[in-house]
Amino acid sequence: MDEQPGLSDQYRMASPWPLFVALGIPIAELGILFDVFVVAVAGLLLFCGSLTGMIREAGYAETAWRPLAVFAVLLFAVGGVLAFTDVSLVTRGYAILTAGGILAAAGIGGELFVPKRDPV
Amino acid sequence: MQITGQLTLTVLMGLFLVIIAAWLARIEDWRSYTPLGSGGAAGESGYVSQEKPTGISRWLTTVDHKDIGMLYGAYGVLAFVVGGLMIMVMRVELLDPGMTLISNSFYNSLLTSHGITMLFLFGTPIIAAFANYLVPLLIGADDMAFPRINAIAFWLLPPGALLIWAGFFPLGDIIPAQTAWTLYTPLSTGAGGGNQANAGVDLMILGLHLTGVSATMGSINFIATIITERAEEVTWANLDIFSWTILTQSGLILFAFPLLGSALLMLLLDRNLGTSFFAIEAGGTMLWQHLFWFFGHPEVYILVLPPMGIVSYVLPRFAGRRLFGFKFVVYSTLAIGVLSFGVWAHHMFATGMDPRLRASFMAVSMAIAIPSAVKTFNWITTLWNGKVRLTTPMLFCVGFVSNFILGGVTGVFLASIPVDLVLHDTYYVVGHFHYVVMGAIAFAGFAGLYYWFPMFTGRMYQRRLGKIHFWTWMIGSNITFLAMIVLGYGGMPRRYATYLPKFATFHQLATLGALLMFVGGLVWTYNFVVSWLEGPRVQDGDPWNLRDDGMYTNEWQWFQDRQETAITDGGDEDVVADGGTEE
Amino acid sequence: MATKVFDRDTLLDLTVNFIPLFILLFFLVGYFVYNPFKLGSTERILQYMLLATPFVLLAILTYLSGKAIASTEKSSPVYMPGAATVDGAEPIEDEHEE
Repeated sequence: MDEQPGLSDQYRMASPWPLFVALGIPIAELGILFDVFVVAVAGLLLFCGSLTGMIREAGYAETAWRPLAVFAVLLFAVGGVLAFTDVSLVTRGYAILTAGGILAAAGIGGELFVPKRDPV
Repeated sequence: MQITGQLTLTVLMGLFLVIIAAWLARIEDWRSYTPLGSGGAAGESGYVSQEKPTGISRWLTTVDHKDIGMLYGAYGVLAFVVGGLMIMVMRVELLDPGMTLISNSFYNSLLTSHGITMLFLFGTPIIAAFANYLVPLLIGADDMAFPRINAIAFWLLPPGALLIWAGFFPLGDIIPAQTAWTLYTPLSTGAGGGNQANAGVDLMILGLHLTGVSATMGSINFIATIITERAEEVTWANLDIFSWTILTQSGLILFAFPLLGSALLMLLLDRNLGTSFFAIEAGGTMLWQHLFWFFGHPEVYILVLPPMGIVSYVLPRFAGRRLFGFKFVVYSTLAIGVLSFGVWAHHMFATGMDPRLRASFMAVSMAIAIPSAVKTFNWITTLWNGKVRLTTPMLFCVGFVSNFILGGVTGVFLASIPVDLVLHDTYYVVGHFHYVVMGAIAFAGFAGLYYWFPMFTGRMYQRRLGKIHFWTWMIGSNITFLAMIVLGYGGMPRRYATYLPKFATFHQLATLGALLMFVGGLVWTYNFVVSWLEGPRVQDGDPWNLRDDGMYTNEWQWFQDRQETAITDGGDEDVVADGGTEE
Repeated sequence: MATKVFDRDTLLDLTVNFIPLFILLFFLVGYFVYNPFKLGSTERILQYMLLATPFVLLAILTYLSGKAIASTEKSSPVYMPGAATVDGAEPIEDEHEE
C-alpha cells in the first residue's frame, strides 16, 4: 500500500457493489421463503445485477450483458426445477423465472441494441 | 384489498431498485469503465485508485481492509452493547425467584437473543475486526486477497442482525424466537402446541444463515490472504501468532459454518415447505443435535483461538520478552483446530447415546485439554522473570489467563461423562462457558481494543479509566460466574426465568456482579468516546515503548510510516508520496 | 529419514502435539484391550473411527506444519515473529526453548 507503491496490482479503494450484493441476498431469501413474488424478484435482480456490476468492475467481463445472460440461465434452471418438477413450489418457481426473464431481456437487449464502445 | 397490497409492494420494490440504480449512476460513471488490468484508466471514473469518496459514501463503498475492520469493530461493539443490555434485564429479573419484571416468555426471548447476539454478532465480528485491520499489516500485504468479497462479508451482517432481532421490533404478529441459541428440534420446527411456528423464528434462522455466509466468505479471504499475500520476509517460520490463530480459525469456519448453513436450511424447509428432515419418524431428535454440535463445538474454538492469539501477541510486549515456546503455541493451535471436530457429542452425553461412542468422545475431549493447557503454561512462563508493565491491555491479558484457567478447569470436569451426567443443564455449565466466553474471549477482545486503540484512532485513552474498567470487570465477572458455578452444584437448572427460593442468595450475588460489569461498561464507553474525540494525539509510532525491549512489530512500523508520511505531506491519511500516479 | 527434516529441536517443539496423540492412542489401545461393552457392532467401528480419525488428521497436520516451519527456518532468515518488516530488523539467533 502506501509504503510499498507498485508492489500490488492497481486496485480501487472503493466499490459500490458489495453493499448491494449483500442486500440482495436477504431480500431474495425472504421473498422466496415467504413466497412474496415481488420481493423475490426484486431481491434476485438486485443480487444478480450487483454481481454483474462487480464482475465488470473487476474486468472479468467487458460489458454487463453476457454475465446478465449467464445469471438468467442459472435462474431459469433453478426456477424451472421449482416450478415444473416434483418439487412443485410453483409460485416461487415463477418468481425466479420472472427474475431470470428480466435479466435475459436486459442481457440480450443490451448485446443487440447498445452500441459497442471503442476500447479506451 | 389483496390486489392493492400486492400493487403497493410492487411499486415499493420497483422504487427501491430505481433509487439504488440512481445512486449507483451518480457515484459510478458507468461509461468510463475499463478493465483495471490495463491500468491507468481507472482515474477517469470518479475515483483515483488510492482515493476514497468522502462522507457516508466512503463507508458504504469502501473495500479497504482497515475501513472494513473499523466497520466490523463498530458493529461488534454495538452488538455487544445490545447483548449486554439484554442480559442486564434478565439478571435484574433474576433478583427474586418469581416472575416480576418481565414475563417468562420475554425472558426466554431475551435468553435466545443474548446467546446468538454475543456469539454471532459480537464474538465472530469483533475477531474479524482485528483480523481485517491487522493481518494484512502483520504479514506485509497490501490488502486482503479479495477486497470486494471482504466488503460483501461485512455488509451481510447488518441485515443478519436486523433479522435476528426482528421479533423485538413491532412488526405485526411476529414474536421473538424462544428456542435458545441451540435451536433444538422438535421445538424449533414449530411442532406441537407452542408458539414457535411463528415467523419470528424463521427470520432469526435466516439471519443466522446470513451471518454464517458472511463468516464463510471472510474465512476464505483470510486463508487466501495469509497463504498467498505474505511479504517476502514473512515466512512460515516468523509468521506472528495472531495470524496463525486466524489461519486456523478460518480453516475451522470453512468446515463448520457451511454445515450450519445447510442444517439451518433443512430446518427452514421443515418449518415452511413441509419436508420432514427432523421429524421424529425420520431423522429423529438426535439428527439436529449431531448436525448442530458438529458445527457448534468448532464454533467454540472459532471464538477462542483468535483471542488466544491476541493474548499470545500482546502479553509478551508488556512482559519485555518473547513469547515462551512460540512454536509450542503454534502447534497446539493447530492441534486444537483438528481435535475440535472430534468432540462434538460431549454436548450430548445426557441424551442416551450409545455408551461406546460416548467413551470415544470423552477421550478426545480429554486430549483437547492438553493444547489449551500448554498455552496457559506458555503465558505464565512468559511472565516469569519478565519486565512486567501493568498497562490496561496487559491487565486484560492477565485477567484472560486467570479466567481461562477457571473456565478451562471447570470444562475438564464436564468432559468426564459421570460428572457431566450430574451437572448437565445446570448453572455449572453456564458458569463454565461464561468464564471462557466473557472472562476470556471478551477480555482478550478488550485487551486488543486498548492495545491498538492508539493505532485505530491516533489518540490515547485515559489510563485511569481503563484500569477502573478492568477491575470492575475482573471482580464483577468472577462474582457472577463463581456464583453460577455454586448454583450449578446446588442443582439450579439453566434457562429458567423463575427458581426455588433457596437459590435466591447466589442469584442475587450473580446480579450484583453483573451490575458491577455494567458500571465498568459505562466507564469504558465514556472513556472510548471521549478519548476518540479529544484524547491526546499519539506523537510517535511507538506509543507502548516497545522498541526499548526490542519488541517492536510490523503493524506499529506501518503506523509510524503512515504518521511520518502524513506529517511531511500535511495530508490526512493514505498519502502517496508521488501523487498517486504509480503504475 | 525423518531426522533429515526434523532435527532435535524441531522434534522437541513437536512433542506438544505428541501428547494428545498419545492420549488418543492410549484410548485406542485401551478400548481394544479392555472393552466393557459388547463386541462386533457398527457402534464398535464408529467408536474406533472417532478416535482414529482425529489421530490420523492431527498426525498429518503436525507433520506438514512442522515440515513447513523447519524447512523455511533453514532456507531463509528468521526474524522475530511479527517483526519481519520492521525497519532494520535483524534475524534472531535460533535459540530454542531454554
